[in-house]
Amino acid sequence: MSLQLVFDALSLGGIYAIAALGIALIFGVMKLVNFAHGQFIAFAVFALIVPSANAVATLGIGALPAPLLITLVLAIGAGLAVLAERLVFRPLRDASPVSLMVASFALGVMLQNLLLVTYGGRPKAVSLWAGLGAPVPVLTAQVPLLQLIVIGAVAAILAGLALMLKRTRIGLEMRAAAEDFGMARLLGVKANVVISGAFALSGALAAVVALVLVAQTGVADVRMGGQIMLVAFIATVVGGMGSLPGAVAAGLLIGAASALLQAFLPPEARPFRDAFLYGLVILVLLARPQGLFAPAGAKPRV
Amino acid sequence: MSKLGLFDLAVRYGKLTALANLSFTVAEGERLFISGPNGAGKSSLLGAISGAVKAAHGRVEMDGEILSGRAPEEIARRGLSMVPEGRRIFAGLTVQENLLVGTGQRRDRGAVADDLATVFDSFPILGERRHAPAGALSGGQQQMLAISRALMTNPKLMLVDEPSLGLAPKIVDEVYERLCALQALRGLTLVIVEQSSARAARVGGRMLLMRGGRIVADGDAAGFAAQDLLTEAYFGDAA
Repeated sequence: MSLQLVFDALSLGGIYAIAALGIALIFGVMKLVNFAHGQFIAFAVFALIVPSANAVATLGIGALPAPLLITLVLAIGAGLAVLAERLVFRPLRDASPVSLMVASFALGVMLQNLLLVTYGGRPKAVSLWAGLGAPVPVLTAQVPLLQLIVIGAVAAILAGLALMLKRTRIGLEMRAAAEDFGMARLLGVKANVVISGAFALSGALAAVVALVLVAQTGVADVRMGGQIMLVAFIATVVGGMGSLPGAVAAGLLIGAASALLQAFLPPEARPFRDAFLYGLVILVLLARPQGLFAPAGAKPRV
Repeated sequence: MSKLGLFDLAVRYGKLTALANLSFTVAEGERLFISGPNGAGKSSLLGAISGAVKAAHGRVEMDGEILSGRAPEEIARRGLSMVPEGRRIFAGLTVQENLLVGTGQRRDRGAVADDLATVFDSFPILGERRHAPAGALSGGQQQMLAISRALMTNPKLMLVDEPSLGLAPKIVDEVYERLCALQALRGLTLVIVEQSSARAARVGGRMLLMRGGRIVADGDAAGFAAQDLLTEAYFGDAA
């Protein structure tokens, strides 16, 4: 029971952390809270299946062998995000953070409607990697294989991202730009390269979340990105806007708190789990309004 | 050909005129001080040269090439570097990472490593703390880091905005000593905004005196201190 709880907390928190990173990366370099991130996730989900209004989806890309499928979906997520930056956010680069945020809402609504027109509004059953639900014995617990894969993938992604930020040229430029974009440009750092890079990474992370959501729930729903986007946004605020480690830590914390509440709340209170969860969030923000890991340079402007 | 040329350059913020049709040139290897009271347009001038501030009119040329209208990063990549007001160190990056941010456009990778070694030789404290977060350095050390960071881009022309701001006089002496030594060593052209014309006179070079977005005097810095021009610039014609 308790070991199972640890796996639940880690896998849920891990997904929240990946989603929060997708938002924090863009906020870091552009001071944009991208509310279209949830629709990026939904878009990547629907990219797996053939367009139709049927209740049971036919896999398109989703039927490919896993390595090819994953590569393609990540590329689609990254491509969509880069395209969105080029068409929507680049022309608005000098606009206020509030205008940028509103533009991201508008983009999100447009993407959602694009999906509605193409696939219809009904949630669809999608069977992606059906074998992954099988339980695997780990010490005293029976853990679904998918959960182990998710935890491993999240750990690998976080490690890879940390290495990229720490060791590569683009990583250094992204961190410098997140602290003081104007100064970075005065030193020859190309704004377009850094921002496109951040969007590409963010879009790829959205695609990772999409794959996990579909594999876990077996459903494709136009609205499915919205809920996780909300949690991810809260995680970036709790972690401290602009802090990538903060977003990861807060994502994990919220996932863990959610799993713990689910396990230990009295059964009659469980339907209201989220109210307890957000109550905790408010308590944390009352104690630390700037977030748990707010960086010195990035004040929230929204 | 002059290193830097401003032709009829104007900068406006809304209805406020920050720079009113400025023209002057700076020769290769020259040291030019820009002095004047607060609000004279000194920082707007540097901003307009570096591309951070858009010119409303006129143009800036470096080596005969027009810079106006280009993005700051493009201007930086043409050999212009900036030591900004308030230093603007990347506090969360290490000292060494700060130095490397501006080297992305350089093709001479071997020379980058040499330059880094040179920085650590000239400023041993930066070498000792190369892996420490830059935000932990003292104000004077951060100023040295800001200068070194600008040099790491291998610039031909360096703009320095108020290097003495918030530093003890002794540290300011040292900052200027270093700047002048580096200039001599590398044949840099320097444009320095310095509030204190007395300081400029002591360091030596050419000086432009600004007031209300205009140049009110242009000449040898050492000659200025004694003249009434200074008083006039700061207090107006009534003085």
